[in-house]
Amino acid sequence: QLLHMSVFSQSFSPCGRFLAAGNNYGEIALFHEGPVFCLLSTDSHLLSAGNGEISAWSWTELIKKNVKPVWTKRPNYSSLEIPEINAMDNSLVVGAGDNNVHILDLEHGVFKQAVLQGHSDYVHCVSVREREAEVLSGGEDGAVRIWGRTGQSVHCIEVYKYESCARPQYGKWISCVTTDSDWMLCGGGPSLSLWHLRSLSPTSVFPLTGCQRQAAFHQDMLQILAVGEGPFVSHCLLGGEVKAQIPCTPQSLNTLQLNTNSTEHRVLTAGGSSDRIDVFTNLSYRAFSLVF
Amino acid sequence: MTSDAPKKRKTKVLRSEGGTPEMKRGRGEGDQQCAEVEKRRMQGCILFMNLKKLNRLAHMRLKRGRDQTHEAKQKVDVLNLQLQNLLYEVFHLQKEISKCLEFKSKHEEIDLVSEEEFYKEAPQEISRPHFTKNDLHQLTLARLDWELEQRKRLAEKYKESQATKEKIHESIEVIKQHLNSLKPGLNDIMQASLPVQQYLSMPYEQTQKQTEVARHLPPPLYVLFVQANAYGQACDKNLSVSISGDVDEAKALSKPPEDSQDDESDSDAEEEQEKTKRRRPTTGGQLDDKRREMLKKHPLSLCLDLKCKDGSILHLSFYYLMNLNIMTVKTKVSTSTDLNAAISAGDLLKSDTLLSCLYTSDHGQDTPNPANRYQFDKVGIVCFADYVEELGHPYKWVQSLGGLNFPRDAAEVPVEDSLSASKMESTMKLLRGRVQSRLALHKQFASLEHSIIPVSSECQHLFPAKIMSHLAHWTTITHEEYRDLAYTRHVTDAGLATETDLYFMGVVERGTARLQAAVVLNPRYPEVSPLFSLSLSWKGERSGRTDDNLRAMESEVNVFRDELQGPRPGHQLLTNQISRLCVCLDVYLETEEQDDSVEGPREFPREKMCLRTVRGPNRLKPFKYNHPQGFFSHR
Repeated sequence: QLLHMSVFSQSFSPCGRFLAAGNNYGEIALFHEGPVFCLLSTDSHLLSAGNGEISAWSWTELIKKNVKPVWTKRPNYSSLEIPEINAMDNSLVVGAGDNNVHILDLEHGVFKQAVLQGHSDYVHCVSVREREAEVLSGGEDGAVRIWGRTGQSVHCIEVYKYESCARPQYGKWISCVTTDSDWMLCGGGPSLSLWHLRSLSPTSVFPLTGCQRQAAFHQDMLQILAVGEGPFVSHCLLGGEVKAQIPCTPQSLNTLQLNTNSTEHRVLTAGGSSDRIDVFTNLSYRAFSLVF
Repeated sequence: MTSDAPKKRKTKVLRSEGGTPEMKRGRGEGDQQCAEVEKRRMQGCILFMNLKKLNRLAHMRLKRGRDQTHEAKQKVDVLNLQLQNLLYEVFHLQKEISKCLEFKSKHEEIDLVSEEEFYKEAPQEISRPHFTKNDLHQLTLARLDWELEQRKRLAEKYKESQATKEKIHESIEVIKQHLNSLKPGLNDIMQASLPVQQYLSMPYEQTQKQTEVARHLPPPLYVLFVQANAYGQACDKNLSVSISGDVDEAKALSKPPEDSQDDESDSDAEEEQEKTKRRRPTTGGQLDDKRREMLKKHPLSLCLDLKCKDGSILHLSFYYLMNLNIMTVKTKVSTSTDLNAAISAGDLLKSDTLLSCLYTSDHGQDTPNPANRYQFDKVGIVCFADYVEELGHPYKWVQSLGGLNFPRDAAEVPVEDSLSASKMESTMKLLRGRVQSRLALHKQFASLEHSIIPVSSECQHLFPAKIMSHLAHWTTITHEEYRDLAYTRHVTDAGLATETDLYFMGVVERGTARLQAAVVLNPRYPEVSPLFSLSLSWKGERSGRTDDNLRAMESEVNVFRDELQGPRPGHQLLTNQISRLCVCLDVYLETEEQDDSVEGPREFPREKMCLRTVRGPNRLKPFKYNHPQGFFSHR
């Protein structure tokens, strides 16, 4: 029964899960005290964040089961409560619970003074648009903000105001934002929708039930994978139709990850409210599950 | 040869005669011829005579030669016979010699004292060292003599000892008779002193009687009796031990001498079986009798009364199944205060669940003695659990208390004191804890059924002062009912809901919202905390499987037992869990997103103070209550 308990509490901490450099996930979830909301892997380090702090772990050390973070950093918060960190992206743009987006300079290891302020509620997700060096962030307040190089909010799309994607019965928050140069996927309370960024208008809306928690482009933008409430991974086409919904074990999914780094292990992994992580070797069916 | 020579000569003469007549005719002279013939005839006759004589001579010689050879032959035969005789004699003598050489004397089998010892101990006239030193034969003879002497002496001694033994025996008999004659006198004194004892309130007599009866207890019960008595005297004044049952029957059982006891009881049993066979020819009746025989209890049983602080008493009756070699226990609880019957609490004090799983996975349904399986096969008992009602539960801890240790598949079971002693204290503590927790639960259930959640002052700080949700309903459900609920599937799948657990259904209500909580209560509560599974019906049906927030509520209730258990040993865990469930439901309902399109006031106005209503990727609500400040935050 004690065993079951620990699994219970673990499974409630919504882990972002990456299989970038190796399959040693089990460990990361086991040695973390607080919830781990997001994970990110760079060439040599694994970065994890949860309750207000970012920790970096060296991959080589992790493989040897050495569980000591290389460094731990904390953005300058102004509020009383310790805000959680909800999202990170490659150049380490951090979306946090204090309604702001922080940018961490990985070379110097310090947070930039410029804090992207503008959201009126906490930031769910961030994404970097590499070509324009812009940052996209989606928040609980229902807005997707696009931040320019200078740290100014260039655009603000309030998705819930567009009738085609608004779903008032769920709410207005945006829980996933993904971008690929001109296109942006965002979803959450409103339906998952594909946006053309230059015109800032929705091109297609995907008729998925439930709120989507993470979405990703696949096969050079031809296909879109999305996970959220409900025990399945949805495959959608750009035009707006849902191609397939692949069942998996957890009742609702929090995270989805494609392993593009190695050609041998080209797998899709999905995790959620369960102690299992499903692994898809072929996108169309679940191969096996990793157990904590 | 001698005769041959004259014959040759004769023939020569005849030839010359044959030639001559013709020549004589030629001349023609008669007278002359006649004279010639006469002459020749004379000569012839002489020659014949000669021939005859020679012939006889030859015969004579031949005969003599024959006689001579015969004589020689006889001589050789005699010699030959003599030789044969001699050879036979030699062979016979050789055989005799070997026989003599192989002869084994009896004295070689006799253990003699060694040579040195012999010279040292034997007197000169027997040992005669100058005479025997060099002659081995004489030495052996002397030693044998000495041996004989000694043996004679020892025989004498043996006779003497026998006699003294007889004498001592006689004296012992006399003393015994004397002692026996003393006994009635002593009994009289005892009888006389009884009133004095009672007056001085010294329970010598009683304890003595008890130990007297205890002598007839079977070994496991005796071990338990001794250990429980010792423990009660040393550590626990509230433990009392008594023996009940038919003493005479037990005496009859324990009468036969110990070594043959088993055989006799076996043969007794067989005889009885035979009798019953004769009496009842139906096979079913036979099997029934056999079964009854096998499951027979020892006529004596042991009663342990364990008093708790609040005055309630746990009665434990221990029985010993003689043919199965296991012990069983029956339990009863009597309380000082009259318990107002709570329907859902009915199972709590029932004897068959009260002590189950006192130690982990000790259900007391199956026999712990592996040898019993074969015995059961013989008489067709499928499973011991069918007889538990009648015989009591054979828990493993009961066997340990009785010193019975059953390793895997061992037929011989030693009775060990140390085993019983080592388990006694911990078991008594566990028993007491179990009874107390059950009584506490019983009280809690009584108030839960009246929809009141009792929260003690120590635990007040765990909850806000104002709780809007209230417990509407609290009932017990069966294992099957629990299993059939859709939202408990994961618990059943994880193997956490077993037959031995107790199951309850609680309903918490607030306004139109109705939260069902299915609870698994392990018999080892409060050591193992109860497990809640939730299902909310409010604006549609949701459960812990489909709604992350309900799942968070489940974990809030199930996982954080350290916060909820209150003062040790945590009898208030269940009620605190239920209170927290109410609080969590309040938070859940109050922080639910308001649908802007619907007009009118909110059903559940926000009264709880929350820092933030949602947090994290799956937008969990703040279920954690911070005591002094009185606000809710996230875990």
